[in-house]
Amino acid sequence: MCLLISDWLSLFMSVYFPQKLLPYLLLMPQLVVTAIFFLWPAGQAVEQAFYQEDAFGLSRDYVGLDNFTELFTSPEYFASLKTTMVFSFSVAFLGLAVALWLAVMADRVIRGAMVYQTLLIWPYAVAPALAGVLWWILFDPSMGPMALLLEYIGIDWNHFVNGDQAMILVVISATWKQISYNFLFFLAGLQAIPRSLIEAAAIDGAGPSKRFWDIVFPLLSPTTFFLLVVNLVYAFFETFGVIDATTQGGPGQSTTTMVYKVFNDGFVGLDLGSSAAQSVVLMVIVGLMTVVQFRYIERKVQY
Amino acid sequence: MSDLVLRNIGKTYDNGYQAIPSIDLTIEEGEFIVLVGPSGCGKSTLLRMVAGLESISQGDLLIKGDQVNNKEPAERDIAMVFQNYALYPHMSVYDNMAYGLKNRGEPKSEIETKVNAVAQMLGLEELLTRKPRQLSGGQRQRVAMGRAMVRDPKVFLFDEPLSNLDAKLRVQMRVEIRELQRKLGTTTLYVTHDQVEAMTLADRLVVLNKGHAEQVGTPMALYERPASTFVAQFIGSPSMNLIPSTIENGVLQLGVDSQLACPQFSTDKVMWGIRPEHVDIVPLQDADLSLQVKAVEALGAETLIHGSVKTSEDKLYPFVVRLSGNHAPDIGQPIGIRVPQQAWHVFDVVTTKRIEPL
Repeated sequence: MCLLISDWLSLFMSVYFPQKLLPYLLLMPQLVVTAIFFLWPAGQAVEQAFYQEDAFGLSRDYVGLDNFTELFTSPEYFASLKTTMVFSFSVAFLGLAVALWLAVMADRVIRGAMVYQTLLIWPYAVAPALAGVLWWILFDPSMGPMALLLEYIGIDWNHFVNGDQAMILVVISATWKQISYNFLFFLAGLQAIPRSLIEAAAIDGAGPSKRFWDIVFPLLSPTTFFLLVVNLVYAFFETFGVIDATTQGGPGQSTTTMVYKVFNDGFVGLDLGSSAAQSVVLMVIVGLMTVVQFRYIERKVQY
Repeated sequence: MSDLVLRNIGKTYDNGYQAIPSIDLTIEEGEFIVLVGPSGCGKSTLLRMVAGLESISQGDLLIKGDQVNNKEPAERDIAMVFQNYALYPHMSVYDNMAYGLKNRGEPKSEIETKVNAVAQMLGLEELLTRKPRQLSGGQRQRVAMGRAMVRDPKVFLFDEPLSNLDAKLRVQMRVEIRELQRKLGTTTLYVTHDQVEAMTLADRLVVLNKGHAEQVGTPMALYERPASTFVAQFIGSPSMNLIPSTIENGVLQLGVDSQLACPQFSTDKVMWGIRPEHVDIVPLQDADLSLQVKAVEALGAETLIHGSVKTSEDKLYPFVVRLSGNHAPDIGQPIGIRVPQQAWHVFDVVTTKRIEPL
């Protein structure tokens, strides 16, 4: 038995494979998945970006870079870029801030800590569309309890007509889901800080809030940076469900982020060429963000 | 004036566990007090109570005459060196040392003067711009001490500061700590489980056992007249040999074959003890006691002979003899030993307390 295992090990660990096919065979499942679900559609999108297709999909013409020039001269596209920025940074900032606050609180709880932590993690398990619908109901201008509460304190809430309020609603919905994820990382980060550091700071005369900003927050910076990138990527690319379930990009274009616009122009407006060109732009952006992430995560935000 | 007074200090945790029933201790200005005991004896808890990191359940803690029970750590004007040093990893050595002074709101120029003076004293001038992770263990230890010294506190607290260092460095830092404390003259409370560290550093030792102070005194007093079997075994290495014995009509029945003339004690059943270094080897026919040799540890300068003594109840008790120089008795053979009476320690079997001849 031992001999068998060691035989297998030497087989895998040596550079030489008896059959040249074996390594490819072993990699095959992953390669197939990547090819079918990523490379092929991505290739299609890139190809599509250079064509103009009619609304019924019966014919298409090669138009070169027309789809892109149109995109970059369209004020609507830049409006959606701005919307995306406002939305993404709001989600990231709010998500990090609230999660950090919750994590600091949960870290202090001694009795029943597990209960708090489990409950705080739950929202992450809720499907994006459901999260959207949940907040959509809560803030429904005619019957939502939150909307009624706001009206009671003198705020006229109607996200169907007020673009800023619509933005606030999608930010809240998208953030709510992400807080759980951030919370987990922050809590782990907090628990990794040795208690003696906090105690040393207390003896050095730093009060609770000074201890947090001077010691805890800087020591969490690697976690914070990692989460910032993850949250931006989330807000950029993974919030389609939330937006579709709450505001569907409206009112007007006020909550149409770039990802939502890809869907809207492609599947509602049936302008597949422009939609594909937008996908290509998004692909470039996500590529850049990944590079930034790897650059910094590899180097780490060090202290 | 006494610098640090612990009056009937006790600690009971929320779950009802009593870590420290009651401790009284008066520490004079400039004294170096070592709290020593096995793990779980409450020594760290006691130190943390003095520091203000652990609440005090009962009694009074006085620093320079002020009751500080409910004061924040920062208000007590103490400084602490932690076992893992607890240096702020994101700050330079300079900032680590300056942090406490900055929090106190001292002017920048004054902070600089103080930090530089301490850095010079500890040989840290070259390292002031480095981060803790760029330092060796001994250097980190020094920075931790510097951080404590720079604030010129009323009391230094050390929580097993040397246990993360290797043996050689530990000896070196031990000497350095003692020297610095003498130079600064700051009252010091030092926690350790290492009895060598305790003996070499302390002006006075406090031996703790299950939250009780078993004995308080100078290292030599504890070595020469341990107040209980616990102290007798804890202080001194290798620890004291203890054999339960009986005294009848002025005769001590020690081993199965040994009866020694003995003064009267208040009780017949005693725990008889002698330190390994106070035992001599003699020919068997002249011996007070015979010892079955089990192992010999030759350390060059001295030899440790591990053996066992058979009592009249046919029980075997381990017995260690420490001899200077090199000896090579045969393993498995009996050897004769002499136990001079002036080196005896006698304890009550029941109370484990030391008893003196009547």
